Amino acid sequence: MIVGYVAGKSPLHQAHPFTALALAATVVVLAFALPAPQGPAALAVALAALALLARLPRVLLTALGFSLPFWFFLGVIHGLIGETPLRALTVGAQITAMLTAFLLVLATVHPARLVDALLQRGVPFSLAYLLSATLQAVPRLRRQAADIVEAQRCRGLRVRGSVWRRTRAVVPLAIPLVLGALGEVDERAMALDARGAAAPAHRTALEPPPDSTAQRVVRWLLAAAAVGVIVWRVLA
Amino acid sequence: MSVRLAGVSFRYPGSDTDALHEVSVTLRPGEVTLVTGRLGAGCSTLLLVIAGLAPHITGGSRSGEVTTLDRDPATRDGRKALAGRVGLLLPTPWTQLSGMSFTVEEEVAFGPANLGWRRARIAGAVDEAMQRFGVAHLARRDPRTLSGGELQRVMFAGVLAMEPEVLLLDEPALELDPAGAQGVYELLPVVAQERTVLLASTDLDRAAAAAHRALLLDRGSLVADGTVAEVLGNDGAVATGCSTTVAEIARAVGLTPGYPLSVADAVRRFTR
Repeated sequence: MIVGYVAGKSPLHQAHPFTALALAATVVVLAFALPAPQGPAALAVALAALALLARLPRVLLTALGFSLPFWFFLGVIHGLIGETPLRALTVGAQITAMLTAFLLVLATVHPARLVDALLQRGVPFSLAYLLSATLQAVPRLRRQAADIVEAQRCRGLRVRGSVWRRTRAVVPLAIPLVLGALGEVDERAMALDARGAAAPAHRTALEPPPDSTAQRVVRWLLAAAAVGVIVWRVLA
Repeated sequence: MSVRLAGVSFRYPGSDTDALHEVSVTLRPGEVTLVTGRLGAGCSTLLLVIAGLAPHITGGSRSGEVTTLDRDPATRDGRKALAGRVGLLLPTPWTQLSGMSFTVEEEVAFGPANLGWRRARIAGAVDEAMQRFGVAHLARRDPRTLSGGELQRVMFAGVLAMEPEVLLLDEPALELDPAGAQGVYELLPVVAQERTVLLASTDLDRAAAAAHRALLLDRGSLVADGTVAEVLGNDGAVATGCSTTVAEIARAVGLTPGYPLSVADAVRRFTR
């Protein structure tokens, strides 16, 4: 399962962070604006191909893993009960496409380069940091959760077995995770403050990502695609 | 004088007792001052008050006068003026990670970059700090994959890379192995040549050798202030466990107060 940055040299890794974000935003627009169900389905397939091209098959598997429960419930609600299987296919493909796009951005955009790019555009560091920290929060919490699982298992908690047993195990895992995260807030805030995060100076971008004409053209094309599809759908 | 406290008391929110009570002390550049005491004595709070993080981050109320590099660190203007000039190292390294670095080099550069320095100056300060703490070979490693000891040295390098005039260290060697801890303490007098260093530690066997001066706190009150030998060699300090192992042995075998603090001290005393 991948929900964070993975080092690599694919074109997506080389892309300017804003280009990757533009791709994700365009996918969201297209997922809803393209004719259903073939549009969202084609979009999901295209993103799957992009994930494979970027040599990130695990991103694709993660997106499918997250999508699976949605597909199941959509199948039950629309396929079995509502007898509208095409609706299930549309919503399922929309969810899968958007999840794949966001996970691809998470896996290929280096948070520090995103901050550098935002700083270059004059965005305040506090805002840029908030965005970057949010992108990294999931992998950090997953690591902490894994540590808590190990610790609780050492103390006799059984986290495998029946659904009932797994459900009961959630409380002793979730409470230390939430309380631990809250308990760290003060210390993290102190460390950041002491390291100048609230300094009045404009933070230096350490490695500002290069932004070529080609990158700008791609972003304009993505924006044009999103607007174009909306206009086409409204007129049609 | 770079830090001055006059009659300073501090109370955490929800507490009915002072974490610091009427503390008055002056710290000078060029010396390592050790502050120690039993659990809850207020050593960490003293550091936070000097840095302005108490009450700014912790909440609570402060009274008395605190002057850090001619500023009151509790005011908005004071905090802005002191950004980067007061370095603080906390005991747990993983909560001090910036959360946006994938290499040690970037982590060390986090503070200097926040100060808006030019990239060339940042690179020089980062290289020097990493060399000083023996972490240059880890420069390309992901900080999240380091051991606690390695990470604490990285965090120390990150604080020092900001070239602070006042350095506040809260149990800086808690995560280090004995050799690593010894290395950090031996570095302190060198670091203090250019700045004021306040070290909160209960690792007194090592800290005593590194410090020029000692403060002893007891339940928030300053009960002793003097040379390390005067404060830690005192009967009261040794009786409450706020001294070195050698001093405790010396007291146990019936020596008179003014106990030796190290084996070298003891040898000198017996061969006099």
